[in-house]
Amino acid sequence: MVEFHQIAAALYLAAGVGALLGVVLRNGRIERGAAWGLALGVAVQGLGFATLHRLHNAPAVTDLPMAVSLMTWMGALSLLALMWRLRIPALAAVIGPAAFLGAFMAALHIVDRPEAGLAQSGSWPHVHVLLGSAGLGLLGLAGIAGVFFLAEHRRIKAKRNVRGRGVLPSLEALDRVNAIALAAGFPLLTLGLMTGVLWLQEVHGVFWFGTSHEVWMVIAWGIYAGLSLARFVGHQGARQAAASAVAGLLFLIFAVVGIGVLA
Amino acid sequence: MKLLLLGMNHRTAPVEIRERFAVPDLVPVLHKLADAEEIQEVVLVSTCNRVEVIATTHQPEAARLRLGDFFARGGLAASPVEVEAEQLYEFWDRDVVRHVFRVASSMDSMVVGEPQILGQLKDAYRDAVEAGTCGPVLSRLFQRGFSTAKRVKNETRIAERPVSVAKVAVELASQIFESLDDKRALLIGAGEMIEAAMVSLQREGLSELKIANRTVAHADELAARFGGTAHGLDELDTLLQGADVVLSCIACDEPLLSLDRIQRALHARQNRPFFLIDLGVPRNIDPAVNDLDTAYLYDVDDLQDVAAANTEEREREARRGERIVLEEEQRFDGWLVALQAVPAIRHLRARAEAITAQEMGRHAGALQLSDAQLEGVEALTRSIVNKILHAPLSRLRAETGREEGLAVLEAARELFALDDASAPGGHIDAELQATSSPGSRDEPHTEPGDESGEDAGNAEESEERHER
Repeated sequence: MVEFHQIAAALYLAAGVGALLGVVLRNGRIERGAAWGLALGVAVQGLGFATLHRLHNAPAVTDLPMAVSLMTWMGALSLLALMWRLRIPALAAVIGPAAFLGAFMAALHIVDRPEAGLAQSGSWPHVHVLLGSAGLGLLGLAGIAGVFFLAEHRRIKAKRNVRGRGVLPSLEALDRVNAIALAAGFPLLTLGLMTGVLWLQEVHGVFWFGTSHEVWMVIAWGIYAGLSLARFVGHQGARQAAASAVAGLLFLIFAVVGIGVLA
Repeated sequence: MKLLLLGMNHRTAPVEIRERFAVPDLVPVLHKLADAEEIQEVVLVSTCNRVEVIATTHQPEAARLRLGDFFARGGLAASPVEVEAEQLYEFWDRDVVRHVFRVASSMDSMVVGEPQILGQLKDAYRDAVEAGTCGPVLSRLFQRGFSTAKRVKNETRIAERPVSVAKVAVELASQIFESLDDKRALLIGAGEMIEAAMVSLQREGLSELKIANRTVAHADELAARFGGTAHGLDELDTLLQGADVVLSCIACDEPLLSLDRIQRALHARQNRPFFLIDLGVPRNIDPAVNDLDTAYLYDVDDLQDVAAANTEEREREARRGERIVLEEEQRFDGWLVALQAVPAIRHLRARAEAITAQEMGRHAGALQLSDAQLEGVEALTRSIVNKILHAPLSRLRAETGREEGLAVLEAARELFALDDASAPGGHIDAELQATSSPGSRDEPHTEPGDESGEDAGNAEESEERHER
């Protein structure tokens, strides 16, 4: 089981390095190869999660390393889905290393026995983790696309090094990734929060404990609600949307990883 | 056998001269050239930028005169053309190989890296094959030229970046938009620049072209040719709202597209991005527009800077291409020398055998040997001759693959007083007929670009066959 995550980690790392090389060397073939590496990593890690679920009816997926791993896996999976229609293999240069960290952490922290509490909690913890991770993974992807967008926007505006068709994604593709990831990620995050509340209600009879995780996730939800409104109702421009997504990503890193570690 | 090339190009002769050699059908010209006794094989390359005749000959001086006469007479033109000596260039042997390989690889073109020349060379080769004037040497030369061009294209970035302003604009658009298929272009003006840009934009498959001009009739004319719609400048505000790519090149004293106008259009477009290309001088679009988040503005200087940088890069890549050309040139030269060495080797062996036979005949009677003894002496002499010849023949064979091969071959010919033409089976042409499947003068062969037959005329193989 651990081996799946280890192999996936190696594949993600190779995909990340390959994509980076593809960008630096302006070589589309290397980039496409990296995308295939990423796809293979996603498949192997997916097998790892499936095996974990098969062996333990209530696997321990709520601890930080596993949750981050699931998030990065969801992010990589979403990127592959978007790659179907958009020329964005260069994003694997960031998603690959992120997924590597996630898989690596998972390989180090996989718990062989189910958590006692979770085993008695029914499906809610898993639905909560799955939806929440999918939402956060997608919002993370929006942030990464935002970083690429801002760099590309700056380059094209400054008229520097704009010779020829590059291997970096077009601004329009990056903006679409941003919009799609936000449009799908925010509802998933919302559902993740709601299922978390239902889980608490079912197990503890309360909606809210007031833990730092709960507080920061609600703040994150509020922030993304604002970003979604600005983007889809206020017709925010692509650059502002990208900057917002990057700010959102930084906040998420703090709220999930930072608070998770501190807690 | 010598390789000869005589020609003129955009650097040596003006278009008024070059255009006189433009003929729609090269076959009669090729027949006329090949009818001359001093020319064995001939290919004629005639494009808007170059006219070149490439030939093989055993009579270099006469062939040179013949081709010079061809240019002086203006090819097949009705009246002679005054071609000055400096307008023509002339290459021999290895320089011909290098030149053809460089031309095929687009390293001798006006725009380095342009892809058309390879197709034009293939056409010229095909015409010569059809006319039956392309023999095994030129066939091999062109086939190697095509594969050299392929190597240069694959191993360098010589053709990667655009060098025309219109293409640079299109390439930039592709960095902003994922695809141009669903994008709409607005072109302001109806001049040559707009027309050139329209060709590039249409090639990229823009879904809609709208042309706005002061004189709608001119816009109408362009619209009819390119399948767009024509509009007057009074419709600009409405047109801007629907356009994704705006290209402007129109005479105006003040920017036609002011910051305020673009801001209004962006607001109406709900901040969907604009790519604006200003090819006008004075500028048609307020430069401050580039400060707007969703508007990307490039003027003619910006595009020319990109084009110039791309040209420099192509030239840098062309220098890498030169190394590939040199490698291929050496390979071709080795093949040619090896081909020329085969008759010499055969001649040397035949002469040794003849001397052995002659001396045996002269002394056999005086020695009064039995048949068995005679056989023994014959075997002995054959063995001595073979051993004496082994070292020089091996050396000659080895040297033909090297750069100095021809010099060694000449030295051997001189040293042993060899005359290939009188050798048994003798001349190099006979050798070529025997060894080369692509392109006897009477027999059409591989298609241009088809490299399957490339090794059919392999000199080492032929040499081996003859040695056997």
